[in-house]
Amino acid sequence: MNRVSQISPVTDAEMARLVRPGTFADLANEITGTHPASGAPWRANGRRARRRRMRTRLLIGVPVAAALAIAGLIATSAGAPGQRVGPISVGPAKAQAAVLSITRHGRYLYVIVNNPVADPKMYRAEFARYHLDIGLQLVPASPSAAGTLVEESESAGSGSQLQTITARGRCFTGGGEPGGGAAGNQCPVGVRVPVDYRGWATLVFGRAARPGEHFEAPGSATALGEAMHGLHFAGKTVAAVLGMLAERHVTVRHWWVQVQNLPCYAASRRTVPSSWYVYRARPWAPGQVLLWASKTWPVRGCQQPAGSPVATP
Amino acid sequence: MSKGAALLSPPDVATSERRHRFEELYAAHHASVLGYALRRTDNTDDAADVLAETFLAAWRRLDDVPPGPQARLWLYGTARRVLANQRRGELRRLALADRLRADLAASYRPPDFAGGLQDAVAAFRRMPEADRELLALAGWEGLDPGQIAALLGCSRNAARIRLHRARRRFAAELDRHPVSAARACAHVPTGGYE
Repeated sequence: MNRVSQISPVTDAEMARLVRPGTFADLANEITGTHPASGAPWRANGRRARRRRMRTRLLIGVPVAAALAIAGLIATSAGAPGQRVGPISVGPAKAQAAVLSITRHGRYLYVIVNNPVADPKMYRAEFARYHLDIGLQLVPASPSAAGTLVEESESAGSGSQLQTITARGRCFTGGGEPGGGAAGNQCPVGVRVPVDYRGWATLVFGRAARPGEHFEAPGSATALGEAMHGLHFAGKTVAAVLGMLAERHVTVRHWWVQVQNLPCYAASRRTVPSSWYVYRARPWAPGQVLLWASKTWPVRGCQQPAGSPVATP
Repeated sequence: MSKGAALLSPPDVATSERRHRFEELYAAHHASVLGYALRRTDNTDDAADVLAETFLAAWRRLDDVPPGPQARLWLYGTARRVLANQRRGELRRLALADRLRADLAASYRPPDFAGGLQDAVAAFRRMPEADRELLALAGWEGLDPGQIAALLGCSRNAARIRLHRARRRFAAELDRHPVSAARACAHVPTGGYE
């Protein structure tokens, strides 16, 4: 056994024993309970031929700095009617608005989603117009994550050719800074694609959730537009936080509590004493949140992940 | 949290055949993918999200997942992308991973390597990220150069040469900077995704 093998932090077999029976199965059930891609529209025949055509047809290009171009696109979309949360308008769509902005700068295409509530068929048509082998999906997102890129993936073996475009400060998705900080204001709004991109990719954007719909992409609970925006709840008692939520007609879908440091587990309201302390929250669905409570404050034991609630200005 | 599945919209295009294939894929590889993630980040929350994100991608793009042993490489490649997103602060926190997150937080403790292995841990941490990933794919996931080539998108020969050079540099690093046990980092080495 070589040295590298010996310093493996955990083997697959050891790891499997760390998880309780049923947890993996539950996760699989929840994954298959989400909407799968409707086929693979981005995988089409004649990819090579289409790429050649793309080079000749893509003559559009805006010779300005990418960041400026992105800011302009966002400002345009935010001017559309409807609800304005996140970087992009997510209310009633302008009938005439292009669903995608695809601009070329040198060797790259910059793809920004203008209208995250449009019919996905419109996106496919738009990508097809540019001969990009890219599929786009929309998942229900909490208000601060609506209109942002929540997932990107590309064909294995193609390396990391797609780069995320961020509009820092335009939204608060809770993500940290590269290098380990946790400013949380990175706002992924699109993706940069090499014009000669050979692989396929899938982009998943957050869209506004419908009433009662579970957020597949929850943002920070206290970010602008969220049900708990501006609430300083951490360290407040369960009774106090429930009072705050009642004023906003927000309900708690699930509770997680912490007992004797570990573990955290789901519990009903009946098992959560009013005198305990709330230490974490997450949007669950329109008007619904998840809350985490602990007998002690400050809380011990449970990890506080990046993206934990932080009030925005 | 697991009860939350009842709130999700029912799948509208999933067939039992599709679900069956996913379940086979998941049963065969979920431990490998979670292991891959956990070996590259100290943060168990992140590892749970990587597993959930990777298999969400597999569920959505099931037709793209190659059959047989190649599936594991596809999943590693996807997990690698998710980890890269996480490093950029763009990993979303999935509500559906909460139970797994809780299990891992309760049970996983990074190993405390003793003796000469601390030198290896320290040397490994000093390696460039690309070298660390190559060494880890070979030493931790047990991939051969052909599999590494498929995962990284390079030729088999290139993968073999890069791996050989990485091993040589690692050996040189071990020789050059022997560290005392007291000074060595006692924590788990990560694959460069801290």
